[in-house]
This record gives sequence, structure tokens and C-alpha cells, in this order.
Amino acid sequence: MLDFFARNRVATLCAVTILAFLLIGAAAPGYLSLSTASVVMSNSLVLMSVALGTMLVILTRNIDVSSGSVLGLSAVVLGMMLNDGHSLGLAIAACLLTGAIAGLINGLLVTMLNVPSIIATLGTLGLFRGVMLIMTGGNWIEELPLSLKALADNGSVGFSVLTVIVIASLIVVGLFVRQTRFGRYFYAVGDNREAARHLGIPVKLVQIAAFVAAGVLASVAGMIFAAQIGFIPNQAGNGLELKAIAANVLGGVSLLGGSGTVPGIFVGVIFLTSIDSALVFLKIPAFWNDFIAGAVLLLVLLLDGRVRMAVDRAIRAKRYAVHHHNHSDQSAAPGSDVLPKTRIQEAGK
Amino acid sequence: MEQNTTSRIAVRVADIWKSYGGTPVLKGINIELLAGQVHALLGGNGAGKSTLMKTIAGLVDADQGTVEINEQLLGKASPSAAQALGLYLVPQEAHILPNQSVLENICLGLKAKPRALRAEAEALLRDLAVSLDLDAQAATLEIADRQIVEIMRGLIRKASVLILDEPTSALTPHEANALFDRVRQLRAQGVGIFFISHKLREIREICSVISVLRDGAIVLSGPLSEYDDNQIVEAMTKTVQSAQPVARAANDIDFGTRDVVLEIDRFSGEGFRDISFNVRAGEIVGLAGVVGAGRSELAETLFGLRPARGGNLNLLGTPLTKRSPRDCVDAGLVYLPEDRQQNGLFLEASLAWNMSGYTMHRLGFFPKRKDETSAFDAFRQSLGIKCEGEGQQAGRLSGGNQQKVLLAKCLAADPRVLILDEPTRGVDVAARNDIYRLIRELAAKGLGVVLISSDFDEIEQLADRVVVMAHGLQCGALEHDAVTVDAIAHLAFESGSHTDA
Repeated sequence: MLDFFARNRVATLCAVTILAFLLIGAAAPGYLSLSTASVVMSNSLVLMSVALGTMLVILTRNIDVSSGSVLGLSAVVLGMMLNDGHSLGLAIAACLLTGAIAGLINGLLVTMLNVPSIIATLGTLGLFRGVMLIMTGGNWIEELPLSLKALADNGSVGFSVLTVIVIASLIVVGLFVRQTRFGRYFYAVGDNREAARHLGIPVKLVQIAAFVAAGVLASVAGMIFAAQIGFIPNQAGNGLELKAIAANVLGGVSLLGGSGTVPGIFVGVIFLTSIDSALVFLKIPAFWNDFIAGAVLLLVLLLDGRVRMAVDRAIRAKRYAVHHHNHSDQSAAPGSDVLPKTRIQEAGK
Repeated sequence: MEQNTTSRIAVRVADIWKSYGGTPVLKGINIELLAGQVHALLGGNGAGKSTLMKTIAGLVDADQGTVEINEQLLGKASPSAAQALGLYLVPQEAHILPNQSVLENICLGLKAKPRALRAEAEALLRDLAVSLDLDAQAATLEIADRQIVEIMRGLIRKASVLILDEPTSALTPHEANALFDRVRQLRAQGVGIFFISHKLREIREICSVISVLRDGAIVLSGPLSEYDDNQIVEAMTKTVQSAQPVARAANDIDFGTRDVVLEIDRFSGEGFRDISFNVRAGEIVGLAGVVGAGRSELAETLFGLRPARGGNLNLLGTPLTKRSPRDCVDAGLVYLPEDRQQNGLFLEASLAWNMSGYTMHRLGFFPKRKDETSAFDAFRQSLGIKCEGEGQQAGRLSGGNQQKVLLAKCLAADPRVLILDEPTRGVDVAARNDIYRLIRELAAKGLGVVLISSDFDEIEQLADRVVVMAHGLQCGALEHDAVTVDAIAHLAFESGSHTDA
């Protein structure tokens, strides 16, 4: 049981999340309801999409801190095209293309010009935000058409088209990284790049693919953002990249690459998002959000790390104990023409 | 040995040139490997063996020249292109994906169905007579098992050309023999194999052709049977040298009267139990056993890197109760770790910084660069470290020179007792002889040396006395003339034979 939780960050986080829900539910009756679930879900869509893309990059042992700017830039492309009278389909395509190109730039910087990913994406974080501001002339984009906002409507079924899109992305990415050969390469490249290269894995292509996917998913988040809010402020997506990284860490994605799962991302994002809604129910002022989110993040990680270490110690002790036990009957080293010879003292265990 | 009725050329390398930063590493190499041939490749530190093999495997882009694999030109330097032509390089240092399972580590990149791959991997394990949990996380593997994973990667790919770069350096003799059986099998099937090793005995066992590299050029090439060991070593080192130049210490030295510098009494910890032995000044005590016998665990515990579970450690007659690596260094006990890449060197840092690793805390708040430089230069000369200068990055040196830098780091701390853990693993013959000579000299100066080695030849050549460990327990001790490869192997393997299945 303990063993299971130590090996499984997602399970730990699930347990903590459920416990937190129950506690909040007890403190604020009415919290545990379908409508809360629906609110949490739709509030989490933007972060979910960005975090999912960030995971792909982190798996390959890179980092992407430009995703907030990619979100803003692609949302602006979407908004400007719509306000220029283009069709929704064309505008969304342009939005996704923007994300893909932004990701491609990141990927090429990292693989072809050998810029460390943290530096490359710090650069493009500013660059993409700058392009966005130049395009808008510093103005907000408002009065987006109803056709876009309709995507965010919870119809009679209780969830929106956007929710479907994000859930579908989760499933597609989850299946891709686990079930396809190319998907496994993401783990291999992040786990040990030199080993992957030795095995003939297209290391650069995999990294570029991860950045492009992250760009596209950030632009999906941009679309969600625009549809949900109905306008695009200058700071759209600002700081979201760090929240996405936090969600990754919470969800058990190793920043050193090579390990992490999509269910982990899902739980991590839901956990972070539900803090906001819980505070409303607990009547705690909203300016406490960041403090509580940070504290909870540290708490979960510390607890998780402690438990893991304790269990590792226990397992190691067990292994060595077994080790000794198994071989405790081997004192009978054969006699040879040996001068002084110490025989093993048996500790009868 | 083998019949090459079909002398199909498996690899043809023509006029390969390569230089790094203006320094030529390969100078017009021509070499051919026939199908069904095991071709030994020898060379000293920085002779260019690794670069040559990496060029053939598509890991390094040559400046000039061509590589043909199975009569097809390797167009661009890419490992996947080389593999597509049927070549696989088993590197010396195993490249492991720590978070993946053992099975995934072996099969990653292969296109067959997972179930079929598992069956193949299991069959291979039986062939090699090793037990390995395919579902274990690779991070938990010991060094020897990692090497087995690398070898299995090569075998499971059914490559028609294999490059084995010191494949036995972490294997037990038992495992090495199983590997050689497999190599013979592959040879019979027409696989061409480049075999890099520093152990002439191994090379004699399975190779038929030999090429020796020195300073980026091939200086000797031909059927192995035409050369004796001295000729081969001579070709490698240019200077005339016996293959086994280090004479055993005279048996008449009576260490019994010397001071005991290290005394270990019923010492226990994770992975070993109840170990007791003494080391006297000037004495080299071998700690022999197979990989996994608990010797490195013992050394790391002595050095304060792991918690002890009981027993006493006296250094120079005083009990060393509070042990941290720094306490040990200050008290005169220094440890040279087994895995120099992982535990020994700061690969990115300069040689001088590496060298002052153990003495950093004595250098004052503002370490003077001049002191470090002059200290390094002294060691560079006395240990014969080949490098560009004290500012060179440690990661750029060859294995033997890296090991010498580590030795310099240990000696800089002015130790009384030196624990050397596999000091010549992955080091070529010439550098190994240098290191042997140094160890002898250090002992002659009165240092107590604990020599941990899985290479029983090494123990036989160096140790005045040997303690044999198996499965974490002390299973015997030998002295003077009784220190022979056979006697050590007898103790080490007989005590462990129950688990070799």
C-alpha cells in the first residue's frame, strides 16, 4: 500500500485532492456539487492545454517558458482575423498555425543552434509577447464574434465544445506517448539523450516535435482563452507558463526528463484550479490564492519526497537483509593451499 | 580458427581523417573487417580507437574519408543510418535510460511486437547465462548489469557488424566466458566484429586479426598469430616494454613489524557484514571479489559516504568514529571511487580544480590560482598526465589520464591510507602500467593501500596480501606467494557459486 503510493505520484496527488475536496465540502456545504465540478473543469481548460504541451517538452529534458506568450500571440491572431471578417474555421487554423510556427522556432533554436532551452524560450517569451503587442498596437482586442464565444457555452449537455477539445487532446497525447513507438522516444530522449542517440533515435526531430506540439497546445489554450473571456487583453497568458510547470511538477513529471504521465497532468491541473474555487466557498479573499497555491505545492512535494525516501530506505534495508539471509550458508569456502585464512563467522539470522 | 570461405567485406574504412580543434586524432586510417572475423583493435590513451569506432558507427563526422558498411557507403554521420546498414556499437560506458524498464532499454527503437521482443530478450538472457529482471527499472542496475544491457542491445538487433568496446570491463569471468561463447557463435554466423580490449589474454582467446593504433595511425596490422604480446605492447607504446613490467614486491618484506595504519574490526553496513582486516604502512592489500560482492559498499562506508551498522575503524591507531568524507580526508584516509565519470571527476571543470577537490577546504577563502597551478604541474610531471594544461576540461581527457588526475586529487590531500576502487577500469595497457608503477611507488613511500579490483591479474601483480569477499562477507585471505589468480578466483567464485545460476 505504502509502496504503491511511493511509486505513484499520481495516486498520492489523487488521494490528497480527494481528501482536500472532502474537507472543503465539510467546511462549506454545497461545495461538493456537479456545478462546482463543471466550474472547476471549465476554469482548468486553459491551464490544462498549456500544461499538456509543457509536459511533452519537459519529457524530452527541455523546458518551455514561452507558452504564455505563444498563447497571447495566437489568441491575437485569432481575434484579429475574426474581427477582419474571416470565417471561424480559417481563423482557428491560423491560430493553430501560429502556435506551430512559434514552437518550431523554439525547437530549431534548441536543436539546430544548440541554445539551452531555458535561454531560448526566455528569449522567445519576450519576442512573441513583443510581436503580439506590435500587432495590436498595444490595444486590447474586443467585441469578438458570438460564433467564437459560443464554443465556451455549456449547452444542454453540461459541458462545452472546448471541454471536449481538451479532453480529446489529453487522450490523444496520452495514447501517443504510451502506445506509439515515436511517443516512447520522447521519454528516451529525456531520460538519456546520449543513449537515445546511440540507439539511432532521431533525437533532434523528437525535440522539435515536442516544441511544436507545445506551441500548438498553447495556441489551443489561446483559442479557449479568447472564447471564454470574449476579449483579448495585452497580458493574455502572462505567467501561465510557470503555473503550467508547477502543474507538471505536482503531477509527477520529472523536470529532469524521461518520466511523467498525462493522468498526472490532469490531476495536477485540477488540483491547482480547484484551490481558486474552494477559496470562494470558504470565503477567503481572492488575494490569498497565490500564497495558498504556493504553500500547497511545496507541502505536497515535500510530503511526497519524504514518503518516497522513507519507502526507498525500507526497500533497501529489506533487500540487503534478504541478500544476507540467502547467502548465509556459504562459509564453506573450499580448502586450498592458502596460508592464513579467515573463515566467515556466521551470524545466525 | 575460422574459415573465411566467403571473404565478404563487412566494413571498409578508407582514408579517414579527423581532427578536434586543430589536433589531428585520426590520420588517414584504412581498415577492413571481413564478415565472420573478430578483429582486435588496440591502442593507448588517445590513440584514436574510440574516435575511429564512433566514426564507423556514425556518431562522429569525419573530416575526410569514407566508411562502407556491408558494401554500402555510410552517407552522413548518423547512428540510425549506420544501424540501418547493419552495424551496432556497444560502447564502453553503458548508456542507460534510468527511468525505463530493462526491457525497454534493450528494445527501444526496434519495430517488432513487444511480446516477440520479450521472448527474444529472455532467450538472449539464457544464452548469456545471466539473470536480469526485465521489468526492473534500469536505474537500479549495477554497473555490470548495465553493460549486459548494452551487449544485449547489440545482440538483439541482429547486427551483421558489431563493435564491442571493452565489453568485459565490468563482467565477471563467468559472464565474460558466456559472452565469448556468444561471440564465437556470431562469428560462425558470419557477423563481423571489432573487438576493443586491453586484455591480451581475451584478445588471444577470440580474435584472429589485430590492428594497433598509435597517435591516430595504424602501426601494426595482420593475423594475430604472427605477433607475440611484447611486439603488440611495443607497437602501442613505441618504447620497448614488457607486457607485464611490474615485478611483484619481494616476498621477504616482513610487514608484521610495521605500524598498522588502518584497522577494520567487524565492520558492517549496507551490503556487507563483519569485515575485519589490517593494513600496515607500505603494504598493498587487495580487496578481491566479483562485482556485487560488497567491496565498493565497504569502501564507501569506510569513507563516510554510507551509514555504518557496526564495527570499528582505527586510522593510525586512533578510532575514527565521526566519519564524513572530509573527516576522513583530514585524518589521512582518501578514497578513489570506482566510477570516475559519475563519482570522481567534475567533467566540465578544469584539471586544476579537479585536483584540489579533496583539499578545497584547506585552500583558504580565496584559493590562489598560482598554488593550484604549481601543485598541478608537479603532479602532471610525476604522474605523467598527458594534457593541454591545467585549464583543460577533465571530460576531454582519455580514461587513463582522467584516472591519473583523480590519483593526483587523492595524493594532493597527503593521505596515509589510500583506497583505490578499480583504479584501472577502462584504462589502456600503457597507462595501466604507469598506474601500477605509481601504486608501487606510493606503497614504497609508506602509504597503506587498499586495492579493490575485479581484475584478479591486477591483484596478483600488485597486492602483498589479499582479502576476498563474496556476497558481502569476508570469505578468505591470502598472503605473499599464495596471492595467485587461481586461488583468488577459487575463493571468490566457490563462495558465490550458489547464486550464479
